[in-house]
Amino acid sequence: MARVTRVIPGLPLTLGYTLFYLSLLVLLPLAGLVVKTTQLSWHEFAATIVDPVVVAAFKLTVGASVIAAAINGVFGLIVAWVLVREPFFGRRFFDALIDLPFALPTAVAGITFSALYLKDGWIGGLGDHIVAAANLLAAYGGHPDLFSPGALSWLDLPFSNTNTGIVIVLVFVGLPFVVRTVQPVLQEWDAEFEQAAHSLGANGWTTFRRVIFPEIFPAWLSGVALAFARAIGEYGSVIFIASNIPGKSQIVPLQIVIKLDEFQTPQATAMGVVLLVIALLVLLGINGIEFWARHRQLAVA
Amino acid sequence: MRRISKSYGSSQALKDVSLKVNSGELVALLGPSGSGKTTLLRIIAGIEDADPGSGEVLFDDVDVSSTNVGKRRIGFVFQHYALFKQMSVFENIAFGLRSKPWRERPSKAVIRAKVEELLALVQLQNFARRYPNQLSGGQRQRVALARALAVEPQVLLLDEPFGALDATVRRELRRWLRKLHDTIKVTTIFVTHDQEEALEVADRIAVMNAGKIEQFASPEEVYERPANPFVFRFLGNYNLFHARHDGAPHPHDETETAAPVTFVRPHDVEILRENPDGSAIAAKVTHIGFAGAAVNIELVRHDDQQSIDAELTNQAYRDLGLKQDDEVFIRLRNSHSFYEDYAI
Amino acid sequence: MTGAPIVKAQMADVPAVRRPAKRSFVGRLLVALTVLFLTGFVVLPVVNVFSQALSNGIGAYVDTFYVPAPNPEAKLTLPERQKLSAERGSAELTWSSIRLSCVIAAIVVPLNIVFGLAAAWAITKFRFKGRVLLVTLIDLPFSISPVIAGLIFVLLFGRGGIFGAWATNLEWPDPTSLTWQGFAGHWWPLAFARTYDGIIFTPLAMVLATIFVTFPFVARSLIPLMDVQGSEEELAALSLGAGGWRTFRTVTLANIKWGLLYGAILCTARAFGEFGAVSVVSGHIDINDTMPLRIEKLWNDYDMQAAFSVATLLAGLAIVTLIIKSVVEWKTNRTQVAEPLEMEVKSDEHRSAEDQQILRLLAGAQGREP
Repeated sequence: MARVTRVIPGLPLTLGYTLFYLSLLVLLPLAGLVVKTTQLSWHEFAATIVDPVVVAAFKLTVGASVIAAAINGVFGLIVAWVLVREPFFGRRFFDALIDLPFALPTAVAGITFSALYLKDGWIGGLGDHIVAAANLLAAYGGHPDLFSPGALSWLDLPFSNTNTGIVIVLVFVGLPFVVRTVQPVLQEWDAEFEQAAHSLGANGWTTFRRVIFPEIFPAWLSGVALAFARAIGEYGSVIFIASNIPGKSQIVPLQIVIKLDEFQTPQATAMGVVLLVIALLVLLGINGIEFWARHRQLAVA
Repeated sequence: MRRISKSYGSSQALKDVSLKVNSGELVALLGPSGSGKTTLLRIIAGIEDADPGSGEVLFDDVDVSSTNVGKRRIGFVFQHYALFKQMSVFENIAFGLRSKPWRERPSKAVIRAKVEELLALVQLQNFARRYPNQLSGGQRQRVALARALAVEPQVLLLDEPFGALDATVRRELRRWLRKLHDTIKVTTIFVTHDQEEALEVADRIAVMNAGKIEQFASPEEVYERPANPFVFRFLGNYNLFHARHDGAPHPHDETETAAPVTFVRPHDVEILRENPDGSAIAAKVTHIGFAGAAVNIELVRHDDQQSIDAELTNQAYRDLGLKQDDEVFIRLRNSHSFYEDYAI
Repeated sequence: MTGAPIVKAQMADVPAVRRPAKRSFVGRLLVALTVLFLTGFVVLPVVNVFSQALSNGIGAYVDTFYVPAPNPEAKLTLPERQKLSAERGSAELTWSSIRLSCVIAAIVVPLNIVFGLAAAWAITKFRFKGRVLLVTLIDLPFSISPVIAGLIFVLLFGRGGIFGAWATNLEWPDPTSLTWQGFAGHWWPLAFARTYDGIIFTPLAMVLATIFVTFPFVARSLIPLMDVQGSEEELAALSLGAGGWRTFRTVTLANIKWGLLYGAILCTARAFGEFGAVSVVSGHIDINDTMPLRIEKLWNDYDMQAAFSVATLLAGLAIVTLIIKSVVEWKTNRTQVAEPLEMEVKSDEHRSAEDQQILRLLAGAQGREP
């Protein structure tokens, strides 16, 4: 079984304990989910899934997750690029901050985003705050009420209790995925290729599009997929910023929780299984991407 | 040690290897990479196991094959030293003593004295408080050696002891190791792929190839009387002559019926301006490579256009006054012939 | 934040490509965009937590956690008395949530540390069939919604669950309620003041759900680290006669202490912060509130300032986590720079295909976290 079994001690103990712990806490509960799912009748399952409220929840969850993943795809790439390639004051600080969405509890993220995007929040009332600050400054210069109160109202972004707000928190929770998968690839990337492209007369955009992007594409794509997978399962942060109106702004995890609170366990199970299957398919896709990327590399080499 | 086999999956790394090392001897296991020398060393150490039922490792006629690595009383120095990064030099060396079961564990004062003695032996008295990453490669090597010696091993095993060092340090440490061995007289087996190293340091050399020991003899014998073409090839540069070409090189080969292959070291090729008795071979100088004390001459034979390397001392080269494209004669001072079926 | 400090450490300190002193317009634009984006999405939210918590002054912040008992001689009107008692009740609930969070973390983190060490030892020191599968399994909770993590325990132990009949009738004492009742009339002086019925809607289920969500962290921060370090030092210790336990304690543990610290603090932060899974199995009972659940209740009571006050504790923990992560990266980086030799040996080519696959799993799924 093991090559150096006799020399390094502890295989039976550590492997045994690992398997025991995993079986008890992971395999057993997951097996329970499978068993419970098979106990659902097809009718029960279908009835749950085609319920308009549930369908709306799935549409919202998947839709918001796709948009959030796409935004992360663009901004995550920019952030990763800047953190690797553009040294600027405070780069290390911002680099460390990328991991904050992992470390910050989702409930905290939920309430702070919700408060930020309220009408009088820092971002929800951004225009008004700027006007007020400018007027305060102007008052010192003897020009009170230089700006009319609504002058910058287009800068107000009151997204709390809207579905836009859901997308915003999902961007937050998914932010590290794209950055942290693209960053190492960019780091390893040899700038010589780029210089070669430049010397051949390609401009910056062409170089990026034709030389750099194809190289980081697999990592980028799996980062986006991870952000998506994370977003569809997200619960804690979303429920604080969403208005949670059935059929309009309830995400699937919230639907599951509601069903559980109403002791409608079979319905909750049915939705949970669909959510899990989507996540696992995405995961499978990611492995596919990695497999494909490796093969492509091998083919090049 | 006798009849050790070891296979990984389908490939056999060692094939019924037997080796008997006398106590107090310094033995080199020499071979190209993949010849199984490190595997053999690790089996002796007990870090890896031989195939079940394939043979045993004996220390003083005691079978230790099933003895745990920690109980075998061996000192193993890893290729990359494997010093404990988080411990000082002192703690590294003291580790083995401190790890003994408490009945056998010496007192703190004894451990301290022993470590200081070892530090003096490896000439690192002032480095006790340093950490491994504050030492040079050669110093780390010596710490690793001192650590292995601390437990007073029956056998000291060194895996490519100079592999990770640069050339100058290597040469220095080589001599130092030889001297050290002469002082402490511990049976030592070391693995190397460097012929020069093995020839210079070892009492006896086991030349290994493809999981087998090709020859086990003293350095002079291995070099002067190689057992087979592999050993000859591995121990230095050579010229190859096939006897079926006319002008066969060596008199005593002519009696053989099978076609032998003859190996000649470049420094055994003598270059003459004249052909005194007609037995020398006519050749032309094609290239002269000046390498300091020695001069490498490339020649091509007139009869079959085969190229030959010769190595002359600087003095001989100047005496001959050789130039490119000179026509000369060559004679072989010393050669070794093996039969074709032996050749690789 | 995969918990792979080694893998990450390499990227953290590779100096950025030197740009010409004059930055291009696009370069400036991208930097500006990044700073703006990260400020809006990361800096502001965190600053906002503290700002909101202190919005009514430091006194109100303290009142969230502690309201002193009224002076018995003070003359209070009835509404004043009611308000004070409500505030005191709320502060008491907040404290109870902090206590419960600490208890859950105190149970979960040590268990996960032991698991992480065992799993990392088995996976990195030995070659056996199914190693890759094992790593994938350890990764699994990262791809599962926290709500589903709660759901699976409801399906096991809830009413109508697989072990429902057994679990709902289970009566177990609350170990934290162990009290001294004296010998008078009792043969044993200690007793539990409180017992629980069933598993779901009790702290036990919350512990289980938290373990499920957090167990990969320690293992995942150790596996890449121990894989890169190899087994030579352990073999050296064993060849010097040290036993397995001593080898582990003096050699392995010393080498992985920083990675272990990081994995443990990450695990702690997540154990304190877990919301979805715990929420599902808590039953929304006040005494089952952890800090995040308490935040939700305060929020739903429109007590924003109090909700944010509790949130400052969790945000502080998150910030500490990030600081420790940076320190760990710096530490591992330093030892690596100091020991280029060691790195050289264990470069990729010396690794089996299987090892590389495991590293890829860990690195590729960087931060595949719920």
